[in-house]
Amino acid sequence: MNNIFKFALGIFSTLAFAWLAFVVGARVQFGDLKPTSSFHEDNGSIPLNADVFPQEFSGIAQQGAREYVSLGCTTCHTQQVRLVDSGFDVERGWGKRPSVARDYVMQNEVNIGNTRVGPDLANIGMREYSDEWLHQHLFEPQSLVQESICPPSPFLFDVKKTSGEGRISVKSNDVIRFISPSIRANRLVAYLQALKQDYELPEMAFVEDDETDEESEQLVVSIPDANSTQLPSWLAEQISSGKEIYSKVGPGGGGCITCHQPTGLGQPGVFPPLADSDWVLGNKERIIKISMYGLMGEIEVNGVKYNGAMVPPGMPMGSLSDQQIADVLTYIRNEWGNSASSISTDEVANVRSTIKDRGVMQMWTAAELNSVK
Amino acid sequence: MNISSEQIIDKSSKWVVSFFVASAGLWLLAAAFLAYIAAAKLTDPFFLSSFEFFTYGKVKIAQANSFVYGWGGNSIFAISIWILARLSQCEVRGRFMLLVAGVLWNLGITFGLLGILDGHMNSHEMLEMPSEVWPLLFISYSIITCLIIVMHRSRKIHETIAPQWFILASILWFPALFIIAWNGLEINPVNGTVQSVLSMWFGQNLIWLWLTPFALGVAYYMIPAITGKAIDKYYLAIFGFWCIAALAPWSVVHHLEGGPVPMWIPAIGTVMSIAMIFPIAVASTNFHATAFQDIGKVWNNLPLRFIIFGTLSYTISSYIGVIFSLPAVAKLTQFSIINEFHFNQRVYGFFSMIVFGVVYHMLPKITGKEIGKSAKSFHFWTSAFGVLILLLSYLIGGLTHGVLAQQPSLDWASSVISSIKPYFLITEFAFIILGFSQLVFVINIWKVLVPNPFEDSSKNKNLASKASTT
Repeated sequence: MNNIFKFALGIFSTLAFAWLAFVVGARVQFGDLKPTSSFHEDNGSIPLNADVFPQEFSGIAQQGAREYVSLGCTTCHTQQVRLVDSGFDVERGWGKRPSVARDYVMQNEVNIGNTRVGPDLANIGMREYSDEWLHQHLFEPQSLVQESICPPSPFLFDVKKTSGEGRISVKSNDVIRFISPSIRANRLVAYLQALKQDYELPEMAFVEDDETDEESEQLVVSIPDANSTQLPSWLAEQISSGKEIYSKVGPGGGGCITCHQPTGLGQPGVFPPLADSDWVLGNKERIIKISMYGLMGEIEVNGVKYNGAMVPPGMPMGSLSDQQIADVLTYIRNEWGNSASSISTDEVANVRSTIKDRGVMQMWTAAELNSVK
Repeated sequence: MNISSEQIIDKSSKWVVSFFVASAGLWLLAAAFLAYIAAAKLTDPFFLSSFEFFTYGKVKIAQANSFVYGWGGNSIFAISIWILARLSQCEVRGRFMLLVAGVLWNLGITFGLLGILDGHMNSHEMLEMPSEVWPLLFISYSIITCLIIVMHRSRKIHETIAPQWFILASILWFPALFIIAWNGLEINPVNGTVQSVLSMWFGQNLIWLWLTPFALGVAYYMIPAITGKAIDKYYLAIFGFWCIAALAPWSVVHHLEGGPVPMWIPAIGTVMSIAMIFPIAVASTNFHATAFQDIGKVWNNLPLRFIIFGTLSYTISSYIGVIFSLPAVAKLTQFSIINEFHFNQRVYGFFSMIVFGVVYHMLPKITGKEIGKSAKSFHFWTSAFGVLILLLSYLIGGLTHGVLAQQPSLDWASSVISSIKPYFLITEFAFIILGFSQLVFVINIWKVLVPNPFEDSSKNKNLASKASTT
């Protein structure tokens, strides 16, 4: 105690023990967690093409994280759903499952926070608030939640008296104002929308089976078996092989199901339906071409416009063989009430030979396809 | 030690100590001002809401930093220089360097706080000041620490005593903690929630290993110095010291209970928090068994009254802290405004009250001027009253907050937060009282430090402290 160097050695070594545990030990134990998938092959490896979680934030959301820190949001908001034994966070609807260390590995700044004067934000992006709602809330929380004590941030917005392009109306005390969000407000909202732990991890499953999950499982199961027995065996084989390609997300599959849905109905505005579609049931050449190179931009199906992008199907992209294309197209032409002629491997091979000079990632546009004939 | 040598030592420390005390006072006022704004914004969210500079999150964090680094840092420098000089029976050396380093430290904090308010905040607990100012703060801190160690090494009495252990450990722990945290968060950043563990470990240790041991060391020095009695059961002090050294750095992570980290981390934190009963009991026995031998003295001697208020507050609230670290209680309170209770009882009810006491004892000795008795008394009663109201409202409000937050059926804003709004109103009231109290304190000390307060009080603190030394 009397020699300052021995004394310093003593007090630093007591500190070093804790440092070894909380810094070195923690780093070794969970400092290099990587995103992973909850689906595993039998041998424990992750399927090559499976989506891994957590995913990286978009650039604008990462900038939003800076805004979140610089405005001191962490002072009142946590971003962690506690274990079921430790609190009622899941019951409160703040998440489908407790947060785990892996949820944060893709974030540069981890803001798990330690005080909840405001609600937890770990899953704010999952609670289906619109961007507009979040902007209104940032501008003046009290206009939406009367009792809120969250400070308004009018400095992130331009306030206008009239409505206009990109302006959002805020109504408080019977006064309607129109605000146009600054780039900072947009970043912040992008960040908030990106905060969601809506995936399962090997170490943590959802606490209760969520309704939407059950639905989608049922949908997968409910793909009706093609009426194989009544068909000639070669056609039945083509259809069942096509169904497999349609549904399989991974090597050897087309992954069509992720966008066009098990129901073949697609998604309004983005992914056109295949059921009762004038494109699917019409000219074979167009859909063969799409199956090789994908499609980009606006397309009108059954008189309704869709605007999205379809990458060349297959894994890796554009890798479906002539046989596979023939099978999957035959399947979609004879599923969900569709009934049209089958497509043979030769037909596909013919089309491929006419467009063999096309670049690998050169997606079609609808106009281009329609102008050929 | 004869009286004249004591006077020589005090005289040698006069410039430096005056500078640090005067700066500490200004930071205390800044913190009081920011604390009031933050509290007012909680009761009326529209208060100053159109100024981004005064957003709640920024003000709150600027207040904590101003309090800990500005007020805490400067008073640690002032008082450790004075006490260690006295205990070493050495004159303070390197006075010019100490002043230069002190100016750098204060400049660093000034820029740091402006940086926070201007939107350059870092996300790590108690490291929120922008990265750019930390090298400056670290260098100035190191200069001061080195000069204090040099002074301590040239001491006339070889045997060291409890105040020296606690104070030296405190000033040595800060740079060690800082290097660990800075390396892990900035230079060689860790990934994911390891960041959160490290940031919490640093932020909480700053209170437990920097402010707390310092204030304990000061109490170990001041209580015998004022009462004239030796510390009762002094042989326990060394046990208490090593208990804090060994347990405190482990105990601080229990706030992560149930969070996204491996369970052993909060579990160890909880066990070690419970073990902290021993050092708390030791310090409490040492202080109170000594001081309460003469209750009249505690009541009548104002510096001692401040210090005993601080040690009592330390004892009571530390035991409360142990209870709140038990998992069954922690899951109720861990995210509630109880955290404000812990912070304020530690830095205000304990650390600051002890510093007030020492400053009132020390300033007359180094400047030779007395501070008005009624002004000091006013400061004590307003401080004591303000702190009690503040802590009680955070404690009761925090329990309400925690219990209601555990009812998933209650709506968050309209039920949970609405029912703690009254407590926010009380804290705003408490911060107004404390603001007045701190203003009185600063006027009290500046009157002693500055020859003519009406001439100098508006000038900047560097000029003022130079003026005080002429």
